[in-house]
Amino acid sequence: MSLSLSARQLAGVIRTFSIAAALAFAPQAMAAPAAAPALAAPVAIAPAPAASAEAAAPAAAAAAPVDKGSYTPMKPTAGKGQPVAKGMTFQDQYSPIGEEALAMHDYLLMPVIVVITLFVLLLLLLVMVRFRRAANPVASKTSHNTTIEIIWTVVPVLILVVIAVPSIRLLAHQYAPAPKGALTVKATGYQWYWGYTYPDNGGFEVISNILPDAEALKRGEQPQLAADNRMVVPAGEPIRMQTTGSDVIHAFAVPSLWFKLDAVPGKINEKVLFIKEPGVYYGQCSELCGARHGYMPIVVEALPRAKFEEWVKTQGGTVGAPAAAATTTAAVPAKTAPAA
Amino acid sequence: MALALDAASRRNRKVASMAAFGALAMLSLGFASVPLYRMFCQATGFGGTTMRATAAQAAAVKTTARPITIRFDGNVTKGLPWEFRPEQVTQDGHIGERKMAFFIAKNTSNRPIVGRAIFNVTPEQTGAYFHKIQCFCFNEQRLEPGEQVRMPVIYYVDPEMLNDPNARDVPEITLSYTFLEAADSAPAPLQKQVVQKR
Amino acid sequence: MASIPAHEGFDAHHDDAHDHDHKPAFFARWFMSTNHKDIGTLYLIFAIFAGIIGGGVSGIMRAELAHPGIQYLGWWTHFLGGNDQDFNATLHMWNVLITAHGLIMVFFMVMPALIGGFGNWFVPLMIGAPDMAFPRMNNISFWLTVSGFCSLMISAFMPGGTGMGAGTGWTVYAPLSTSGSVGPAVDFAIFSLHLAGAGSILGAINFITTIFNMRAPGMTLHKMPLFVWSMLVTAFLLLLSLPVLAAAITMLLTDRNFGTTFFNPAGGGDPVLYQHLFWFFGHPEVYIMILPGFGIISQIISTFSKKPVFGYLGMAYAMVAIGAVGFIVWAHHMYTTGLDVNTKMYFTAATMVIAVPTGIKIFSWIATMWGGSLEFKSPLVWAMGFIFLFTLGGVTGVVLANGGIDDNLQDTYYVVAHFHYVLSLGAVTSLFAGFYYWFPKMSGRMHSEFLSHVHFWIFFVGVNMIFFPMHFLGVQGMPRRYPDYAPAFEYWNTIASYGYAVMAFSMVIFFINIAYSLVAGKKAVGNYWGEGATTLEWTLSSPPPFHQFETLPVIEDAHAH
Repeated sequence: MSLSLSARQLAGVIRTFSIAAALAFAPQAMAAPAAAPALAAPVAIAPAPAASAEAAAPAAAAAAPVDKGSYTPMKPTAGKGQPVAKGMTFQDQYSPIGEEALAMHDYLLMPVIVVITLFVLLLLLLVMVRFRRAANPVASKTSHNTTIEIIWTVVPVLILVVIAVPSIRLLAHQYAPAPKGALTVKATGYQWYWGYTYPDNGGFEVISNILPDAEALKRGEQPQLAADNRMVVPAGEPIRMQTTGSDVIHAFAVPSLWFKLDAVPGKINEKVLFIKEPGVYYGQCSELCGARHGYMPIVVEALPRAKFEEWVKTQGGTVGAPAAAATTTAAVPAKTAPAA
Repeated sequence: MALALDAASRRNRKVASMAAFGALAMLSLGFASVPLYRMFCQATGFGGTTMRATAAQAAAVKTTARPITIRFDGNVTKGLPWEFRPEQVTQDGHIGERKMAFFIAKNTSNRPIVGRAIFNVTPEQTGAYFHKIQCFCFNEQRLEPGEQVRMPVIYYVDPEMLNDPNARDVPEITLSYTFLEAADSAPAPLQKQVVQKR
Repeated sequence: MASIPAHEGFDAHHDDAHDHDHKPAFFARWFMSTNHKDIGTLYLIFAIFAGIIGGGVSGIMRAELAHPGIQYLGWWTHFLGGNDQDFNATLHMWNVLITAHGLIMVFFMVMPALIGGFGNWFVPLMIGAPDMAFPRMNNISFWLTVSGFCSLMISAFMPGGTGMGAGTGWTVYAPLSTSGSVGPAVDFAIFSLHLAGAGSILGAINFITTIFNMRAPGMTLHKMPLFVWSMLVTAFLLLLSLPVLAAAITMLLTDRNFGTTFFNPAGGGDPVLYQHLFWFFGHPEVYIMILPGFGIISQIISTFSKKPVFGYLGMAYAMVAIGAVGFIVWAHHMYTTGLDVNTKMYFTAATMVIAVPTGIKIFSWIATMWGGSLEFKSPLVWAMGFIFLFTLGGVTGVVLANGGIDDNLQDTYYVVAHFHYVLSLGAVTSLFAGFYYWFPKMSGRMHSEFLSHVHFWIFFVGVNMIFFPMHFLGVQGMPRRYPDYAPAFEYWNTIASYGYAVMAFSMVIFFINIAYSLVAGKKAVGNYWGEGATTLEWTLSSPPPFHQFETLPVIEDAHAH
């Protein structure tokens, strides 16, 4: 039996059943047709109500016990996680990747490019002085020198190899996968605001809009960078950061964490985000997304784990092992088909 | 003189047509890139594209001892009035083991809508090893007004992944779906308004 | 298609007898022109006109960015017929400005000037040909470019979704350019690219045919001046990359209007594929803009050093190498789109390879001057400025080539600084160098050397004031394409805006210089640069006769090396 055939049949069955309201037990129905022998354990799998996104914020908050958590937005530290006036260098880095990349830039790339530029400038000045017409009235006719041509081909190659080694290593580190159980946060780009979903904590979504300039100043934050709700995450642990777009392409970027990842509609992207210490870190949308492209800032607030969990509770989220819930919760009505 | 001119003219025409042929070839390549890119992604898992496996292929796969966690993610693009979410956030299993997961979709509008799910997995390099045997994404889904369905996906992670130095250390794979209104779905009232405005 | 019609009906011509040329009447000469020099002149005039508009647009942008807040956008929105009461429409105006600036400068200023202008003028002259291979097709190319420009201008007055005009950026990324921009503005902008692209492809076919078939006897490929080499490589890049853009934007157009789903996930398309296609064109495109400049600089350096170009073959094949490698590095524009680790590593390594042939060119220019007898006429001063500025822009390219470093710099002002150093300060500087080098040859009148030098120094200070601080803004994290910014970014933005004023002042000097030379400039002799100028255009009068090389020049073997 070919896969496509069985798949098509399966889908057809789903559709038939979804129209026919009489059917109550979807899992069994799924398992019934040709694919049945292929299904080992999964038939017994039951849904996890805790993962419900739409239920999370209002309903879960209402249903939650007494502990509503506590959270006060952290005041940003001057010069930390944000641009500084007249700044000429990278922002201070607060992630291991950022530190590695910054070191590579500062101690390898910058010296190399400064030396090359000055070397070319020096040669130009030297030529201007030594070979100006007054100093050298008769031009030589030299137009070849194999040795020097080989040198200026080989030496740049060597320089590039020296750059390539740490560069490739940096890439490998950036792509190291998040460990099992790492907190997952999904940033969704909307025209023109961000949504931060916490699937491991009940699936609630925090909507983050830009603050008006006056309000930002009142809260001690830079205008254009401040947002009403922040993406709150724990510090000192790897976070599986995922991005997606709802309408057009956006990009989730935080300069002080050396993090930038496009939010493409119809696709998730993933990178590890590791913030070394608590603090407020600012970023801005970095892919042209329409009129208010410049008006959807990103504010990441890193807190110690305990405080983060308190914050999660204020959002009506859950703290604990969500994966376990998926396998243990009893069945709920699997299918509702109000319209027959 | 006339003869010489003709010869030059012929030579010019020859070079020009070769150049024009090159341009046309690149133009065709540009258009052909759409199916080629899709085939490339489906063949190599580029961009986190998942694989499709037959039941027979799946039956030949041995379950290994290596544990792996699959994480599920559901999105809806702007303008599609559906709710869509995975029933389970994560699922623990082993590489090579066949598992089934469910997603729940609900049409919250008052019109029937055909949706189409697109998908990828992250980390991207695991796409070539993530095999779906059955999936609601293989077909378009039509939901009546207010209708809610539970949709299965049956998958396994190919043990070949353990031989890929870029992918073998991945402890969790995220399978993400995004529902969009299918291009041939009934036009939404909203879109009609836009058309009228224009 | 008739080739070389220039031969018919003209028997004998004296090089200095251009007054007796059988020039057509005004309308036929300038609107139905088939003469490569007239078409070149038209291209140059058009490029200057488009440059004034594109440069004016950047003036609006720099004025808006001088200080935080939205100051002038509302006024401009209102001025162009938009609704300035709607803040979104006002902000959309910003995106229209950046889009227009990019498209105008790339497709209607740099390309027409370097390829259409100098290419048309000097490729036939330098290879000893009477005209281009397909003179009438040449005319079509020009008017296609002009109509493309008109289409782009029209788009500014069409609804484009949030406001008037196309606000997609010059990259026209889907889905912002498809579902994200309702209204005909983006259609007109895309159509403008079709027209300009078609014109450029025809032009490329023309150049390739001309260079392959119409060289004078003895002018072998390895004796061609480097400017001709640069145009040959450029023509091939155009020929192979523009059709891909044409395909991509055609699919955008049908996605927008006819319900296809090439880049729309709803029908199985992928918006990231559009980026792959765009940059498969877009990266060769940046070499299309700089290679003719390389050629011009080589001619100028050789002329004013009174020496042949050092390492001629290396120079020629470095350009071929740059062109070839340019086709396999495109995804370094897409490092943050979610490429997997191997792809990113490949594109990092491939991109860095480009630094090698580029380095060969820089050092060969310096070696050409080494041992020479340098005469600091205005073209040489501009050319030396080019070498320095291009080096500065090139080394930041090496920084950006590293995928891991680029994660923080992608889409920031660092990238803006980088590509303006190689284009605005590289390609444009080479344009001015070429302009001062050849202007008397084209017009028959000498420009003022003094004003040219003053122009250079003020321009040099101005553009560095604009673009050098952008490196600081970029590393500090200021994203591109923002009409407003956090107060921390104000200092360097203000300096950049002052720099714009300095640069604009230098352009006033440029126009005064042109006006002066046309009105009161000394008559130019055939070879006004003297013994260093050895290519064929210097054997003709200034301006050259309407029809040149009735008797094909023969290139002696001893001439070259």
